[in-house]
Amino acid sequence: MKFRGLILGCMLGGFLVPLLPGCALAQATPSAFDHVVEAATAARERDDVPQAIGLYSRAVQLRPRWPDGWWFLGSLQYETEAYPAGRDALTHFLELVPDAAPAWALRGLCEFETGEYSQSLTDIQRGLSLGAGKQAHDETILRYHEALLLTRSGDFEQALQEYAPFTRSKVSNPELLVGIGLAGLRTPLLPRDLKEDKRDLYLAAGSAAFLFMSGDEAAARQEFQNLFQRFPTASDAHYLYGLLLFPTDPDQAIAEFRRELEIAPSNAAAQLMVAWDALMRNDFSTALAYSEKVMAEEPTLPSARLVLGRGLVETGDVKGGIDLLEKELRLEPDNFEIHLALARAYSKSGRKEDARRERLLCLQMEKSATNHEVRR
Amino acid sequence: MGRAIELPGENPTFKAHPKMTFRRGAYAYLVETVGDKTTYTVTDGTNTLSLPIRWSFGVGGQTWILEYQGNLYDSLVSYYPAIDGLDITMGDERITPHTLEEAMGRELKQGETKACFGCHATNAVIDRKLTLESMQLGVTCEHCHVGANAHLLDALQGEFASVPPKLRKLSTEDISNFCGQCHRTWEAVLRGHFEGEINVRFQPYRLANSKCFDGADPRISCLACHDPHQDVVRQDSSYDPKCLNCHAASTQPASAAARAGAPPCPVAKANCVSCHMPKVNLPGGHLAFTDHQIRVVKPGEPYPN
Repeated sequence: MKFRGLILGCMLGGFLVPLLPGCALAQATPSAFDHVVEAATAARERDDVPQAIGLYSRAVQLRPRWPDGWWFLGSLQYETEAYPAGRDALTHFLELVPDAAPAWALRGLCEFETGEYSQSLTDIQRGLSLGAGKQAHDETILRYHEALLLTRSGDFEQALQEYAPFTRSKVSNPELLVGIGLAGLRTPLLPRDLKEDKRDLYLAAGSAAFLFMSGDEAAARQEFQNLFQRFPTASDAHYLYGLLLFPTDPDQAIAEFRRELEIAPSNAAAQLMVAWDALMRNDFSTALAYSEKVMAEEPTLPSARLVLGRGLVETGDVKGGIDLLEKELRLEPDNFEIHLALARAYSKSGRKEDARRERLLCLQMEKSATNHEVRR
Repeated sequence: MGRAIELPGENPTFKAHPKMTFRRGAYAYLVETVGDKTTYTVTDGTNTLSLPIRWSFGVGGQTWILEYQGNLYDSLVSYYPAIDGLDITMGDERITPHTLEEAMGRELKQGETKACFGCHATNAVIDRKLTLESMQLGVTCEHCHVGANAHLLDALQGEFASVPPKLRKLSTEDISNFCGQCHRTWEAVLRGHFEGEINVRFQPYRLANSKCFDGADPRISCLACHDPHQDVVRQDSSYDPKCLNCHAASTQPASAAARAGAPPCPVAKANCVSCHMPKVNLPGGHLAFTDHQIRVVKPGEPYPN
């Protein structure tokens, strides 16, 4: 999936930084630089990409602080799949124009291709936060790559959320479905790194999840049943169905999590969901027991310490729970769930002012999240 | 709370109003009681759908549960005492029915059915399954004091060990959480995105938003003001002693909290709730609820969310 839309959008949308008067004039005679720029522009406009790349390279040698040159060079190199060179050119550009959303995004895409996945995710997310996804086409490409990278980094639930908008259009393709399948079955791989003999499993899981997320729950139910029949021992298949069901039908979801635990008793993600559900139902001893299992199996699982902290608070170890939750908050100061848990924990322990502060913060966070949703 | 759900034959509203009618758009409604049976009828002038009312939910305002083709429905039309008649069920105003079935009511999803019966009745949900056959109407002892029925049976055999948990020992925060299982906890309201006046129905949420709420102080718990074994007291002055427990005037023996700074009211010493816990009209509900967010209400200020 190429990023041509965004590149063209930037060019046509007047994104480029205008030439700064007097910029680096001492480094070359103006006439030589102007001549090279003119030739580069002409080459680019007639789609002679190799020549344009050569000329822009020459131009930025003559004037290294010319942002437009680095931008054209980086975007043209991306176009020709010269990803390391594209990344480097965009790095120069970003040194000169640090708030350029499309450049962060495009550098992230270059890094995706060069295998610098962690940096790629950071750059794509920065690009998105700065507004690189304002055009629907651009957002699609960026969100898709973000979802792939989130999956690869093990943030599966967030990846599934990123895939959700793709399901609204109800148009799928095998690559997308495998991506969803990888996130759903909690497999930290990119589709291209998946062994061919495993592809069917992820395609089937992705198809079932896609149907569910697109709102066709009846068809999804059938697809999941087919998945369970074809791959009866596949890890995380029941977990995935449970996860999707949980917001609307927690009872059926819990049944799926329990089936998952029959297949894979040490599945920490399923244990965590059982613990969470028990917390929400005021069954605190069950919540604590399962959250302790999670901590034993996979202590780094997102929310593992949150759920244990809440379990401790509810079963009498309020101080221990608060300590754990406060430690978590230091790591994730904007985590709504931790603030929510602390509000209740402080309230239980009689720390009235702390509880009030956390509650007001939660109300603010909730309001701002709602406003953000409305804007989207 | 014992009458949170009723059968038609026991419903005084039906006895007092044997024939109620309502029209909305192309659809006309008739709720008619003959003996112990009440029928809910909707017609578009050409076709008519007539169903027996299975249960009434609510003590004042009432919404009815209907059964149609094996599924349960919330009636699209409800009874409101404030208008002494029918109107669209609160929350369903945005529904524009296109068929007789849609005009009749809204099909309840499985989870919603369990939530409705789980709160309005006792033993309606066992092991996460809707068990209407074992349901006891209304909120009985067992609803809150889980194990009460078994304890009674044990007691008949001279065995008194199986005492249900003592709810009185819960902290204020935990009582809010306990009552909030049906009246909605602070957390549940936040998660449910209930914004605006609609959340005035959820007393634990509103109370926890009060500046004076203290999860460890029993003087602000649900049970400090309400006896769940009695009908709610509607006389404002009856709550004055509860407020003065903290906001004692200087001439009275000061409580610990009063000494700590809970100021006495400079305006009045009686009917505190009439100013500090105003009644709020529920949008579309013909119902007013007491706002449990205790505060100094300033004229013209917007509803604090």
